[in-house]
Order: sequence, then structure tokens, then C-alpha cells
Amino acid sequence: MERKVKNIFIDGRIEPAFIAESISKHSVKTTIGGHSIFMGQVRKDEIEGKLVAAIEYTAYQELALEKMHQIREDIFQKYPLHCMHVYHSLGTIKAGEICLFVFTSSTRRKPAIDACAEIVERLKAELPIWGKEIFEDDTHQWKENS
Amino acid sequence: MEIQIISFGKISEFIAHQKIEISDIRNTDELKAYLETSFPLLSNMKYKLSLNKDIVQENTAISNQDTVGIMPPFSGG
Repeated sequence: MERKVKNIFIDGRIEPAFIAESISKHSVKTTIGGHSIFMGQVRKDEIEGKLVAAIEYTAYQELALEKMHQIREDIFQKYPLHCMHVYHSLGTIKAGEICLFVFTSSTRRKPAIDACAEIVERLKAELPIWGKEIFEDDTHQWKENS
Repeated sequence: MEIQIISFGKISEFIAHQKIEISDIRNTDELKAYLETSFPLLSNMKYKLSLNKDIVQENTAISNQDTVGIMPPFSGG
């Protein structure tokens, strides 16, 4: 089945209300028995005595969306999922705010849990997205995924 | 031929988006050597190239009007 390339990018933080709304939309899908959710939150890291105030995210959007489309196809092939939703922030996200939301649903819990974890790992490794850590004194450094 | 260079993340701080005229560069390996000479900071960094809509995995031929992206390691999520 051909799925069209979805946009995953949201300008600014991901609102908790948006996440709640997304969960509530699934109540009509009554064959779902398990959801798995991962949320990434901007951490106030201390690096050489300076605290991270925010992360500014940029992406090579065309390439990232194409790559995410491939990941989505792979995951649907591999796991019996009902739904998969992925959102990633662009722009400046303050420490404590949500910058990534991955949401998978299946009939039983295991595919949802495994697929959710795999999506998070793959998107961190494969999507051309960059985070610039902005310190409280307005200096910055570029984040590196560990 | 003329190609468009676009850069991202840390690399965008020292390589601006620009069109460059190249005469004797035929593929991405030759372009890498050219870029590392033109922008010495690049030679000490990990980076990948994209060619139009694909991430370059192996040496690939370049054509007139192609767009080449220069990408440092990803740090999304």
C-alpha cells in the first residue's frame, strides 16, 4: 500500500494538550489494545559550568521527510501496527519542553512497544536534523547524539 | 558546470549556501577533496554529503545544476 509522505515537523515545542488530543482521537479505534509513547524533552545539561537554556533545531526537511517515509514503511512491514505518529520540533525549544513525540498503537502491547523504541533509535541516527544547544549566556555548541 | 552547495548545523557557520562553478570535478569524491581544500575546517570534521534528494553512500557522479548538501553528524530527537 502506498502511503504519502507525511510532514513530521512542528514549529516550536510540542504541547502536552496536542499529545492528549492525539491519544483521545484513538478511542474510536477499538481494535487497539496497547499504545506506546515516547517523548523527548530538552534537558538542562551542564557543560563546563554553563547550563543549557534551549535547543534550536534545524533540519534538511525534504531529505528528512523522505527518510522518515522509508522508516515508516519499514516499521509497518515489520510490526503489526494500527497507527504510527511521529512529530519533531523545529526552532527554539526551552529546557523542560517536549521536542519529540512518537506514538504507536497495536492490538497487543509488544509490537507497539518494540516499534516505538525502534523508531526513536532510527530517527536519531538517520534523520538529518541538528540541535544547537544554547546556553544561558547566549553562547552555543552543537549537540551530538550519543 | 554549476552546482548549488547547501550546508547544515555546525558547517553552516563557515560554509554559506552558494553556487559554485566547477570545471574538472566529476564526482562526489573529487568534490570532497575540493571542499576540504577550499574550507580547511571541513577536513577535521565528520560529515556526509547529499546529492539532490539522496545521502551519498558511495562515490557518485555529479551533473550540472545538482544540489549538494554538506551535513555534520545528525543530532535530532
